[in-house]
Amino acid sequence: MAEVCVGKIISVSELNITVLLTENKVKIRDILYVYNKGQKIEFEVAEEDGEVISAIPFQSVIGLKKGLDVFKAEKGLEIQYNDEILGKVFDSYGSLLDENTIEEEKKRNVYARNLSLEEINLNGGILWTGIKVLDFFAPMQKGFKMGLLGGAGVGKTVLIKELIHNVYTGLNSNSVFVGVGERSREGKELYDEMSEAGLLDKMAVVFGQMGENSAARSKAIFSGLTLAEYLRDEKNQDVLLFIDNIYRYVQAMSEINAELSRIPIENGYPANIASAVSDVEERINSTEKGSITSFQAIYIPADDTTDQAVQTITTHLDGQIVLDRKVAEKGLYPAVDVFNTTSKLIDIEKIGERHYYLVEEVLRYYSRYRELEEIIAVLGIEELSAADTNVFYRTRMLRNYFTQPMFVAENYTGIKGEFVAIDDILDDVEDILSGKCDGVDESNFLFIGKYHGNKKDK
Amino acid sequence: MSTFIENLVNAKLRNMKNMNNIYEVGHVSKVKDYILEVVGLEAVGFYERVVIANHSVGYVTAIGKNSVKVALLQRTNAIYVGDEVVTTGFDFCAMYSKAAIGHIVDIFGEDRLLGEKFENLKPYMIETPAIPIMERGEVSRPFYTGIAGIDLIYPIGYGQRQLIIGDKKTGKTQIAVDAIVNQKDRNVICIYIAVNKTKKNIRELYDSLMRKGAMEYTLILAAFNDDEPPVSFFTPYAGLSIAESYMREGQDVLVVIDDLKAHADIHREISLLSDKVPGRDAYPPDIFYTHSRLLEKGCQHKDGGSITILPIVETRGGDITDYISTNIISITDGQLVLSRKSFEKGLKPAINYGLSVSRLGGAVQDKEMKKLGAVVRRKFLSYLETKEVYQLANVDEMSPEMQQSLKEGEQLQERLLQYKFSPRSADEIMRDFKEVVGKEL
Repeated sequence: MAEVCVGKIISVSELNITVLLTENKVKIRDILYVYNKGQKIEFEVAEEDGEVISAIPFQSVIGLKKGLDVFKAEKGLEIQYNDEILGKVFDSYGSLLDENTIEEEKKRNVYARNLSLEEINLNGGILWTGIKVLDFFAPMQKGFKMGLLGGAGVGKTVLIKELIHNVYTGLNSNSVFVGVGERSREGKELYDEMSEAGLLDKMAVVFGQMGENSAARSKAIFSGLTLAEYLRDEKNQDVLLFIDNIYRYVQAMSEINAELSRIPIENGYPANIASAVSDVEERINSTEKGSITSFQAIYIPADDTTDQAVQTITTHLDGQIVLDRKVAEKGLYPAVDVFNTTSKLIDIEKIGERHYYLVEEVLRYYSRYRELEEIIAVLGIEELSAADTNVFYRTRMLRNYFTQPMFVAENYTGIKGEFVAIDDILDDVEDILSGKCDGVDESNFLFIGKYHGNKKDK
Repeated sequence: MSTFIENLVNAKLRNMKNMNNIYEVGHVSKVKDYILEVVGLEAVGFYERVVIANHSVGYVTAIGKNSVKVALLQRTNAIYVGDEVVTTGFDFCAMYSKAAIGHIVDIFGEDRLLGEKFENLKPYMIETPAIPIMERGEVSRPFYTGIAGIDLIYPIGYGQRQLIIGDKKTGKTQIAVDAIVNQKDRNVICIYIAVNKTKKNIRELYDSLMRKGAMEYTLILAAFNDDEPPVSFFTPYAGLSIAESYMREGQDVLVVIDDLKAHADIHREISLLSDKVPGRDAYPPDIFYTHSRLLEKGCQHKDGGSITILPIVETRGGDITDYISTNIISITDGQLVLSRKSFEKGLKPAINYGLSVSRLGGAVQDKEMKKLGAVVRRKFLSYLETKEVYQLANVDEMSPEMQQSLKEGEQLQERLLQYKFSPRSADEIMRDFKEVVGKEL
C-alpha cells in the first residue's frame, strides 16, 4: 500500500497539530501520521476548517516541525474483533501490551453505531454480589449500569476488585475491564491477581492509564466497548464491563477541548459534555442476544457531588453506590453512604415486601441516629429516652454489621473475605432491629460475614 | 593557524551544502513576562532549545502559523523586541552529572552553592515516555521511614507514592527529611526536589542533612523563587528523569517533591500567561495530567530498581478536599494527613490517623509487622472514634470492654509520639507496641 501524502504540518502544540491539506479527502476521526526522526507519530482528525484540519496526536510531539509531510492511514482507529481478545491486554489504540500475539486478524472500527430503541432489552435477573451493604441497599440486575462514586482514596478500586471477584464467580461469563486514567500500579496488580486466580483467560483488558496523554485516556473506553460488544453480539454472552474510571474520560475530553481552544463550560468541561458521555453510555446496553452489566467507577473532583461531569454521567445509571470520606474516616469499610446509595430495584414489586420494608426501617434508624449524635454531643447518652437509646445502640450495631471483610482486601485487614447470602443479611438485620441482639457489644459486628450470635445456626 | 580557520570554514560550508546544522535566526516580536513570541523561525522543532540575543536561553512551547512561542529558562540581561533568536538543533534537556550527589544543583547542572557547572554533564530528557504497565513489578518491599505511625500503621513500600499533606507548619517536610535520614546505609539514593522554596529553606535543609550525614547519598535539585517560572515547572520532571535513569540501573531511589501545590500554581501562571483556557479554580484542564504523568514515574521496576515518591502538598485550613489536593490524592498510593490540631497539642508527628490511608497496607510489611499493624490500626481508630462519641459519658458506667479499649488506646497514642531525627527500627516498633496489644496476636 503506497503512502498517501495529504498535506503539511503548519502548527504544533502539545496536543494539537494543524495540517494544511493538499488533498481534500480527510474526514473527522481519520488517522494521519508523520515520520519524525524515524519515528511514526499518529494523530486523529478532530476538526476541519476549509483546507486546514486540527488533529490530536497519540504520541509525544517533541521535536516535531512545521512543513513535515503528513500521510493518511488506510483505516480509522481499530481493535481486534475476534475470539482471541480474551486473556489479552490492549492499549487504547488496540495494540497488545503483553507479549502475546494475535494470529487471526479480524478488526473493527472502535466507533460503532449506537443501538436503536427496538434492540434494547430490559429484562434480566437479579445479580447478588455477596457484599452485604450493596445487596441490601442497592441490589443489582443483569444489564444494569451501576455507578461507584467516591472522592479520592475512599476505596473505589478495592470495591471494584471485590465485585470482579464475587460477581464473576457467580455469573460465569466473560468480562471486559477498561482502565481509564487510573494508576498503572493498580492496573498491573489487577492483571497479576487475575492471572494468579486463573481468571485472566475469561477477561479482556484495555488500559489507557494516567501516565499517558489525554488522547490515550479518551480512546481507551471506545476500544473497551468494542470488545464488550463483540462478546455480546457475536458470542451471545452476558458480559460484565468494568470501567475504572469513567470520569477520567470526561477529564481527558476537557484537556483536548482546551487544546483545541474551544470555549469551555464551568470548571473547564467541554461544551459537548452531554453528547460525549452519551456516545459512550448509549452503547452500554443489553440486546436480545446478550447483556452488558456495567460497574462504572466515578471519581468526584474536589469531593463535589454537584460537579457537572458527575451529574452528566449519573443520569445514565440505574443505581449508584456512594462512598463517603466521613465513613471511611471511622474505619468502616466499604465506606458506603447509605442515604445516597440506591438502585432501581428498591421497589416493592421487584425485591419483595420484606426486603423493601427492612430497607426503609434501617434508613429510618440511620437518620434518627444522625440526629441523636448531635443531641448526645451536647447532653450525653444518659439523657436519651428508652426508644432513642435503642435506636442509638442498634444503629451502631447495624453500622458495624454493614462492614465486611473483603477477599481482595485481606492485605489491609488481615481478615479473610466472606460472601454473604441475601437471606442471611435479611435475617440478621431483622434480628438487630427487633432487639434480639440488644446487649451484645457492638464490636462483635465489626468485619464479620453473617452474624451467628444469639440465633440458632442455620 | 590559518589552516585551522580554513578547515573550520570549509566544514561549515560542507554542512550548509548538506543542509545540516544551519542555525536559523528569528526575531523577538513580543515579550510577555517570560513568554516570548518569535517570528522568522520556520524549521524549529517543538521543545527545541533556542538562544536569545546571545545571553538568554529558552525553549519552544508552541509552533504557530506565523510565529512561535518561546518560554524563557535563563535570562541574564533584558530582552528587547527585535533581539535575535537562534535555534540550536537540540531538544531542551536537563543537564546532570552523577558527581552531583551531595550537592545542591539546578536543572542546568550547576552547583548552586559554588556557582560552577559540573564536568561530564549528560543530557536528561525532561519528558520521558510513561513507564509501560508491563514493566512494573509488585510493590511489596517495606521502605522504612523510622516513624512508628508510618512504618506500623500506614506503611510505605519501595515504589510507592505516598502523599504528605497538611497545613503550613505541621511538619510535612520534617517527615520527608526523617525518611531521608533513615536511609543511611540502606543503599538508597535520595533526591529532594525543591519547588519554590526560599533560599533560606534550602540552606537549612542542606545543613541539617549535612549534620546527619545524609548528604552523602542525597541530591538537592532546587528551583529558587527567583528562577524563571518555567524552570520551577520543569524541575520535578528533570528530577524524576534522573531518578528513572538510576532506577533502570537497578538502584532504589527516594524522591521528595516539596511541594506540588506550588508547582500547580506555577503551571496555572504559565498557562494563563500563554492564553490557555482555564478550568476549575482557574487551573488549566490538564492540571491532573501534569501531576499524574510525573507521579506515575514512581514504581517498582520488574528488573529490580524502584522510585519511591513522597510528594508534599500544602493545604489551607486543613481542607484536603480542594481541587489540587484531591487530584493528587487520586494519583498517589495513599496519603499521610497532618493535622494542625494534633501539632498544637504536641502530638508529633501530627498524623491524622483517621484521614490517612495507605492503599498498599500490609502488602508492603513483613508478616509480623503486618499482623501487629492491623491490630493496632483497628484498635487505635476505634479508640479515636469512641473517645469522640463518649467523651461526655461517665467512664465508670461503661462496659469493662470499653474501659479496656479506652485504656489501650491511650497507651497506643503515647507510643506513637516521636520527635524529629529519632528514628526507630522495626524491632523497636514491634517491641513497643507488642507491650500493649501483644496478647491479641
